[in-house]
Amino acid sequence: MEVNKSIISLTEFEDGQSGTIVSLNGGRNLTKRLADLGIRPGTMIIVLRQSLFSGPVQVEVSGSKLVLGRGLATKILVELK
Amino acid sequence: MNEDKRINVVLAGHGNTGKTSVFNYLTGLHQHTGNWAGKTIEKLEGTLYYKDYTIDVLDLPGIYSLTTLSVEELIAREYIIKQKPDVVINIVDSTNLERNLIFTLQLLELGCRVIVALNMIDIARKKGITIDIGKLQKILNTPVIPTIASRGTGLTDLMDQVIGLKEGKNDRGNLTYGKEIENCIRQLLIKLKDIELPYPDRWIAIKLLEKDNEILKTIRQINPEIVENTRCLEEKLEEIHGHDSSLVIADERSHLAAKITRETVTMAPHIKMTLNDWLDIITTHRFSGYLVMILIVGAMFFSVFSFGNWLSSALDNVFRGWHEWWNNNLGITIIAALGWSAIEGVLALVQIALPYIFPFYIFLYFLEEWGYMARISFLMDNLMHKMGIHGKGCISFIIGLGCNVPGCLSCRIMESRRERFITAVLVTLVPCSAVSVIVFGLVGKYVGLLWALGLYIFAIILIFIAGRISSRILPGEPVELIMPMPDYKTPNLKSILYQTWNALKEFIYIAAPIIIISGIVIQAINLAGWMPAISSFMSPVTVNWLGLPAITGILLIFGILRKELILVMLAAYLGTTEFAEVLTSQQMITLAVVSMFYVPCVATISVLWKEFGWKKALAVCIIEIVFAILLAGIVNRFLNLVF
Repeated sequence: MEVNKSIISLTEFEDGQSGTIVSLNGGRNLTKRLADLGIRPGTMIIVLRQSLFSGPVQVEVSGSKLVLGRGLATKILVELK
Repeated sequence: MNEDKRINVVLAGHGNTGKTSVFNYLTGLHQHTGNWAGKTIEKLEGTLYYKDYTIDVLDLPGIYSLTTLSVEELIAREYIIKQKPDVVINIVDSTNLERNLIFTLQLLELGCRVIVALNMIDIARKKGITIDIGKLQKILNTPVIPTIASRGTGLTDLMDQVIGLKEGKNDRGNLTYGKEIENCIRQLLIKLKDIELPYPDRWIAIKLLEKDNEILKTIRQINPEIVENTRCLEEKLEEIHGHDSSLVIADERSHLAAKITRETVTMAPHIKMTLNDWLDIITTHRFSGYLVMILIVGAMFFSVFSFGNWLSSALDNVFRGWHEWWNNNLGITIIAALGWSAIEGVLALVQIALPYIFPFYIFLYFLEEWGYMARISFLMDNLMHKMGIHGKGCISFIIGLGCNVPGCLSCRIMESRRERFITAVLVTLVPCSAVSVIVFGLVGKYVGLLWALGLYIFAIILIFIAGRISSRILPGEPVELIMPMPDYKTPNLKSILYQTWNALKEFIYIAAPIIIISGIVIQAINLAGWMPAISSFMSPVTVNWLGLPAITGILLIFGILRKELILVMLAAYLGTTEFAEVLTSQQMITLAVVSMFYVPCVATISVLWKEFGWKKALAVCIIEIVFAILLAGIVNRFLNLVF
């Protein structure tokens, strides 16, 4: 895969930045779980808030707010808008 | 009863959709809680009478999907398929339509009669979200009713629809997915024609393509050829879409949900910040968020404990009068003494439940309804993760500070069994209100407040270390936090009271028998005159290792009933509440350390037993006893250097 600088994991986003999900690097169960919540490649995602001491990330996907654990957020690769 | 006039309804939906409010509004006090057979997951059922019909309502656990990833999901799915309820009411959060629709689509796949309740429609309107209900109804081909459960709006419409659906025929067509998927489903349907299963064929086909473990297992037993066929179809699908076929289906659902949302929802641009937006920013901010959390939790404990101490001592005076009356009228006999210890168990329960647990639950459910609990989970996730559990576990810890029993029960909010167990074990180490009585009544009062606070910090460090160790040694992977962040909303008093009532009932059911029975047993041992023998038997530990008076052996046995008995019995045996006359500062601190950790109280043990089996409960007790004795002995030797 071509290395693209603007594709970064969700944890590297700053508050308020948004982008399109490119890939989910988790296992099948995790990916399914996320799909059930509407998080899949191609979805627009906004990072509302990163937390202190690299904790979880608060995001907004299709109008709903969600909190994603840090380990999970690193597995979500997003193309920065 | 006329069976035609009886309707079975289940409520299904995500958490935070107001499902419980709908349930409470519909069934009021005609509800009863139980457990799902063989599972420790709460089952809420209730009945309502409406227009000559008896409607049985079952509240399914709040879930995100109908794939079998968690116990709750499996329960919900099996119930809908096997029990075939007449109507499934899908409670949907109108402010998060798209996410909720993914679940609605899964319900529709099951082929059951579904009514969609668009709940919290008022909040959606306030946020500028307009939903074309007629169109949504047409696309889903199933009734859609707007509701505001907290006020009861729309719930009679909902019930009218339930009756209408029961009377009518279920001739709903299926929603269709993408062409290739429909093609695969069609091919599988031909193979599945001769198979007799309680599930609808189309649903089986979809689940096969989704690689659902349960269904694959079932079908492989009946006809392994079909599984082979599925494999071929899956490979084709995977070739076209470039990823796992289970994800192709999940993707398809979320595409469809997104498409339906686009066609039915119009959103006014977000113009100005509302009060709730500001609240959200302040309460989750990386600095002010923690400040607000400390203030809120601190205020909660301060008010609960002030109120509790006042009411508890008021009750104490009343009950003491009763004890005198009992002794005066029944005389001092063995039977009378044993009888009184049974009554004392009941009274003790009242004295814990009414002053502490009741107001505590009111606060907790208020914060939950308001939407604040999710903020705590968010703020604390990072720290909790270091103990191998995620942010939601912090809520159990907070509850555990009040009482370990509801603290352990609340571990059900954790997703996996492993996390439930770790959280429950750590909760047993959280100093509950009874332990606080000892710490502050003994160490705080006679040694110094700083020492008492130091003991709390010590407990926090220990819990942290215990969490790190248990998450290392217990097999399994930690679960990542995935949690919808609800908007703040005005809490509904009725709903808070119902939930408090249910929680209180559960607490009493669990705690009452064990407290009463073990109270009688210990009193019998006492009356038989075995206590001095026991305390001298324990003296190598209590006197030699811990440096405490021999009498503490007895205290620690009574303490298993309720921790604060350690202090109460100490006063009774010594005939004074001036503990400084009989214990040195060093002994007080050592005794407090033992009391904090040595064993969970009987009521907590019974929760561990119920939730995790007797083996694990016993193991936790033994480990904690050994650990607390070792620890307190070391603390004792360390204190030698200080005092």
